[in-house]
Amino acid sequence: MLSRRDFVRGGAALVSIGTGANSLLKGAVAFAAQNPQYVADPNSKKTLILVQLAGGNDGLNTVAPVSNPAYRSARRVIGVTEAEGLPLTNGFAFHPKLAGMKALWDAGKVGIIQGVGYPEQDYSHFKSMAIWQGGDPKQPQPDGWLGRTMEQMESEAHDPFFGFNVGSGTPREMQGDVPVPSVLDRDDYAFKLAGQPAPAGDPRTATLMKLYEQYPAQSPYGALLETTAESAVLSSQQLVESGKSYKAAVEYPQTSFGSGMSLLSEAVVNDLGMRVGHITLGGFDTHSNELADHAGLMETLDQGLTAFYQDLEAQGKADDVLVVTWSEFGRRVAENANGGSDHGSAAICFALGKNVQGGMFGEIPSLDNLIDKGNLQYTVDFRSVYATIIERWLGVPSVPLLGQEWAKLGFLPG
Amino acid sequence: MDDPESAKPPRTPHQLRSRRAILAGSAGLVAAGATAAMVYAGGSDGSGSRLVVPGIASDEPLGSPTASATPAPDLGKMPIEDPRRRAAHLLRRAGFGGNAREIAEFAGLSREAAADRLLNFEAVDNSALDARLAAKPYELLDYQNGLALDMQRWWLTRMAYTARPLEERMTFIWHGLLTSQLSKIGPQRGKLMVRQNELFRSMALPKYDELLKAVSRDPAMLLYLDNADSTKAHPNENYARELMELFSIGIGNYSEEDVRESARAFTGWRITAPQRTAEPGTTLTDEERRAALRAAALAYEPEFYIAEKQHDAGQKTFMGETGNFGGDDIIDIIMKQPATSKRMCTRLFQEFVRYEPDEETVAALVETWESTHFDVRAVIRQILVSDAFYSEAAYRSFVRTPVDFVVGLVRSLEVETDFRTLITRQGGMQTMNQVLFEPLSVAGWPKGPAWLSSGTFFGRVNFADALLYGAGRPRAKQLPAIPALAAATTADATVDLALERLVDGQVAAETRDALYAHARSLTNPAERAAAVAYLVASSPEFQLA
Repeated sequence: MLSRRDFVRGGAALVSIGTGANSLLKGAVAFAAQNPQYVADPNSKKTLILVQLAGGNDGLNTVAPVSNPAYRSARRVIGVTEAEGLPLTNGFAFHPKLAGMKALWDAGKVGIIQGVGYPEQDYSHFKSMAIWQGGDPKQPQPDGWLGRTMEQMESEAHDPFFGFNVGSGTPREMQGDVPVPSVLDRDDYAFKLAGQPAPAGDPRTATLMKLYEQYPAQSPYGALLETTAESAVLSSQQLVESGKSYKAAVEYPQTSFGSGMSLLSEAVVNDLGMRVGHITLGGFDTHSNELADHAGLMETLDQGLTAFYQDLEAQGKADDVLVVTWSEFGRRVAENANGGSDHGSAAICFALGKNVQGGMFGEIPSLDNLIDKGNLQYTVDFRSVYATIIERWLGVPSVPLLGQEWAKLGFLPG
Repeated sequence: MDDPESAKPPRTPHQLRSRRAILAGSAGLVAAGATAAMVYAGGSDGSGSRLVVPGIASDEPLGSPTASATPAPDLGKMPIEDPRRRAAHLLRRAGFGGNAREIAEFAGLSREAAADRLLNFEAVDNSALDARLAAKPYELLDYQNGLALDMQRWWLTRMAYTARPLEERMTFIWHGLLTSQLSKIGPQRGKLMVRQNELFRSMALPKYDELLKAVSRDPAMLLYLDNADSTKAHPNENYARELMELFSIGIGNYSEEDVRESARAFTGWRITAPQRTAEPGTTLTDEERRAALRAAALAYEPEFYIAEKQHDAGQKTFMGETGNFGGDDIIDIIMKQPATSKRMCTRLFQEFVRYEPDEETVAALVETWESTHFDVRAVIRQILVSDAFYSEAAYRSFVRTPVDFVVGLVRSLEVETDFRTLITRQGGMQTMNQVLFEPLSVAGWPKGPAWLSSGTFFGRVNFADALLYGAGRPRAKQLPAIPALAAATTADATVDLALERLVDGQVAAETRDALYAHARSLTNPAERAAAVAYLVASSPEFQLA
């Protein structure tokens, strides 16, 4: 597979003018020399797939405390009943549409982290998302927690797909100095000629790349423009090649989430160098009609995650991959008058993977001692989840990235 | 997001030295505002461009972004000399780019006359645009399509073919500052986003307090920031908070108590509800029901009112003043604060001149802002005649937003499009990460490098391909005409003209040579023009403004 380094060494005119690519390489080497403790094991293939459930997923209806009378009385219309729920442990049950996840739970591959939140919950989608994505409730961060983490993980062999997003723009948590390709539709992630995929060796494309190679690094945004174009071309070539050989071992659901998970699986199976992948499933702001809408979302999530896991398992890659879900907040404990639920506070995160320690983690928030007019008091700071992932999976120290030591959780063995 | 305070928030101690910070020159130089003029000296006729990099060695030692043997000249004080380049710069910033005729006209004007021609747009006949929009009506209630495609096409058409570019620029600026998002309003109420857009256009150069008062009553805004649900018993703080944090004074200049108190002042602000679509009990077929819903959505013209019972008329203490304040009083108090003047003038400076505020220029703008009672027109006039605006530090210091990319391309090349085959469900602005009427967050659109990623790179170049090769057009046997390049009869002339039209002819000789070589390999003139236009549109230089 063509790495950035191969590309630079392999010639192209890039090196001769000593611009972006070359200095980027030099910079990475210099970084490694100065910060040996922060350069992750270059041979590690451990990959994180972060799944954002945007809009505020109803944690209480995802992993429902079905045997708790307080839950049943607060959720008379939209609640998951004991009869419907897929029983877990301690009186909890999965939403009935999480059948695939239930099977994985039974196999010990699913960790459920309860009560995840942060002090002084913000009930605005945007602000709460920004807090989760930046990684600091007090101080708005100019970049994202994963972006910062990737900066520390990256070694000199810069793979274009090191960080990879399925979507249109770089998600906030991945913002940082490592360029992250975002692929919404793989056909759009390549040069087109008169609307059709440009043939390999197309002279127009070659001339265009020459314009970027020649663009002086000292000109405005010189390094940025060159590395963006270079990263686009490299990763697009890799993706085209990869698409020719990848064959999913299972059938993915016909949803955009399903095809996105398939693309992420392809990146793992074909060894595109991805260490951090990201995908968003939206629509969780269920202020009304929650029964039907949330069930649809649970089904989409369940089918996509299950297919992904089974695909990797069949292709012998499940050991390398950890999936974690998060949402900016949960929903209020009491349902509203429109058959829905309003913005809430703490919620659950899922961790899914062959190397995940299955079970429930974190203290279960009380349904009796509510805060802020009917919301759960968080019990696990979201940075504990991040610290666990950063140290135990991605293999870099978390304190410099999160500002302080956070307790690690048991969903990944220490 | 882009105000001076948070544009470069103090990095917390856990911010490690990043990889790119170590990359000497590159990033550091960008921030320092190196400009094309530093690099390209020479004429724009294609003969004299030579690479000149004063004071900047390419082998800068790692780790010292600012270290330089020769002190770089202060670009902020170096004027753009060439009148055509000045005119092109003005038309890009105050509009979305000029064509040959406009640039020639503006090049002959004084700074003041040029600014006034743009500012006094009310006097400019825009009937050609009106006729264009009327000829192929846009469906502005495209709620069957979540991306509201026709709304985007409608606004892009306005930007691309208006004779009043500053009016559209200001509408775009207000849309990015006083944000609402279609997805929250709900596509079936998409019409309210158009109404908000027309409000911004009708108040393009307002007294800012008047604009804030108007937008506080705007139906889309009332829905977007939840103020339409705010009651005396449960004041919703969302609007009050964003009014201060994003729309005016900026974070750090008000307390949580100010948020709570001002939220009370905006309670009871409402819009009238839509008509019921059918009497209960009426049986309709699905088709009839859909038609009825659509008709009701089209007919819905909500009116603003204050529900007295839901309004908290009690005493409030806000920013040190006490009284029975209503929403307008809150806005008046916010506007009196010096921090508001400074933040708004900084913001306007950043919209037109550079991302890095220039304290001296901003201070002068603040004086005008306060002495004219927050007159945006007066402040923008001052910006558009300032030395800072016409400095080399400003030239090409912006990354084009996708809107600037798309509209700039259409305007500069004078191509004909109704955007119908370009803005589609599968492609268009979405691939560049800027869907009009759908800002990325309540903080609006980002500025600068955030627009450039590998994915958006393909979005841009493939947009240029689709526009210039006519991809997706029915019966596209012929390449679309590119009027701006029609006069060129040879390969080299096509290159020179495209460079002049799109990037002021400001490229390195090597770039021009590469384009010559490509153009000479093509014999069909239409194909040649399309290829050259595509290449220049996709070039690094055209991604900047």
